[in-house]
Amino acid sequence: MAAPLELYCWKGDWGLPSVDTDCLTVLAYAKFAGAPLKVHKITNPWRSPTGTLPALKTTEESTRSLSKPSNIIIHLRKQKYNADYDLSAKEGADTLAFVSLLEEKLLPALIYTLWVDSKNYVDVTRRWYAENIPFPLNFLLPNRIHNQQLERLRLVRGDPTLEPGEQLEKELYHDALECMTLLSQRLGSHKFFFGDSPSSLDAYVFGHLAPLLKVKLPNGKLQQHLNSLDNLRHYCTNILILYFPSEGGEPPIRKVSVHSDSSDFDSEPHKRRKQILSVLFAMGSMLGYAILMGIVSIQHIRPQAALVGPRHIEEGGEEEEDE
Amino acid sequence: MSLAAEAFVSQIAAAEPWPENATLYQPLREDQILLSDCASSLAVQAYLRMCNLPVHVSCRSNAEYMSPSGKVPFVHVGNQVVSELGPIVQFTKAKGHSLSDGLDDVQRAEMKAYMELVNNMLLTAELYIQWCDDTTATEISRPRYSSPYSWPLNQILAYQKQWEVRRKMNAIGWAGKSLEQVYEDVSQCCQALSQRLGTQPYFFNKQPTELDALVFGHLFTILTTRLTSDELGEKIKSYSNLLAFCRRIEQSYFEDSQAGSSSRGYSKGPSLF
Repeated sequence: MAAPLELYCWKGDWGLPSVDTDCLTVLAYAKFAGAPLKVHKITNPWRSPTGTLPALKTTEESTRSLSKPSNIIIHLRKQKYNADYDLSAKEGADTLAFVSLLEEKLLPALIYTLWVDSKNYVDVTRRWYAENIPFPLNFLLPNRIHNQQLERLRLVRGDPTLEPGEQLEKELYHDALECMTLLSQRLGSHKFFFGDSPSSLDAYVFGHLAPLLKVKLPNGKLQQHLNSLDNLRHYCTNILILYFPSEGGEPPIRKVSVHSDSSDFDSEPHKRRKQILSVLFAMGSMLGYAILMGIVSIQHIRPQAALVGPRHIEEGGEEEEDE
Repeated sequence: MSLAAEAFVSQIAAAEPWPENATLYQPLREDQILLSDCASSLAVQAYLRMCNLPVHVSCRSNAEYMSPSGKVPFVHVGNQVVSELGPIVQFTKAKGHSLSDGLDDVQRAEMKAYMELVNNMLLTAELYIQWCDDTTATEISRPRYSSPYSWPLNQILAYQKQWEVRRKMNAIGWAGKSLEQVYEDVSQCCQALSQRLGTQPYFFNKQPTELDALVFGHLFTILTTRLTSDELGEKIKSYSNLLAFCRRIEQSYFEDSQAGSSSRGYSKGPSLF
């Protein structure tokens, strides 16, 4: 293969190579398998070839780009980047089973805690996405993802009247805590799930647990439980240090600088830009409204003016009146 | 079932022994029940038989609406109603009947993981084939699902159900899959189960667990149900140890008890062999 495959994914933060579970899974798998990917870390899903993130641009004509993590992993495997090469058939079966466990038990709670829990969503998730997605999508996308995820939870639980609340949270977290405990028991004191080298299951587990470990959430029941499971916590930090050394080292420095100065200097230009943008936006909408409602009109006067006298003089005059 | 109710139920449940008149409710066996519901129902029956807990099977056309969670099957034990295999397993455990006590932590983790594999892939594939494959939906699922109702209610309910399942498939990313891909997934799932089972009689050595009940429920139902195409059953038939596993459970838990008491409600389809 001449050109490396191109992968589009959400950019990272909080010491993670990406903020999104699916993107993290794919990135981790690519690292584990040693696949040389050209990674585009972007914040605008509309710029990805599939319209969603992650997306892998392939060289084949039949499947131009892939977006589901499982499909991407299968594609990488076909290109001989296989992290599961050493697994026995039974271990391959276990991989499939534990990935199902993650998807059925942990993922709903993860979605809930990031996208539905109102405190976390407003303080952290929506804020991060709104700050990072370019204008004007940042007004649209976070809410759209929020609604999609809530809808997804409703459909998966089979309850169309589902409302976010304590009851739902309890049920979801009950499953998720059990799932994390089971994973911790299965991992035991091993370095990875199947011996000394990481496999695709490790990529999935890492993708699901790393956001919980790193993102600072105001409502952190899941995080507390994960922190109490020492081996899982070490396992995730280990993968971060071993396979994503640049991200692991970067955030503390940046975080510190952001935190210490954020109040006055660092966020100032950002703030000014936002102020200017919002003032412009408000003026624009007021003007638009005024023109639409006929409070200010530009064209009405022209025909009258044309009747009265020479065009160029009158035009100037009338425009002043408009103002 | 809600957690608070669950805790309450398990407290009360512990005090009372399993009554003789426990009843399992499911949709009408001949005309109404669909593959996925039938599989779930058979899994619960197999589990209760493995626990040696007697249950009378009752078929109701409105079973889905009677169930507290909207899903079938559900059991009515004493004055409690519990639906679906997971909560029923917890419920029997509270009464002191458990199949998975002998497992260590790692085995229990693996058992739960494989149970989710069956739910995640087999059950979803069954739902997909029932409602998203147009031929199956038109010829089998919609007429059967709505058989107890008259026009126009039958049309409304059937399309409502189909719409709901399709939206669910959309949400979990299955909507874009073709039928071949779904068969491929089923095949992959069966291969994983077959690998895990190996030459053992049950998934965890000599004693059956709730995983065995769940797998049996789904595989046996797929093997004995006629759909528009045989492909789903063919996928399973290529794994001889899974076939032997189904036959083993059928023989040890369904055949002798049938001979013993023919009056007991018995909702299994035609025999496999």
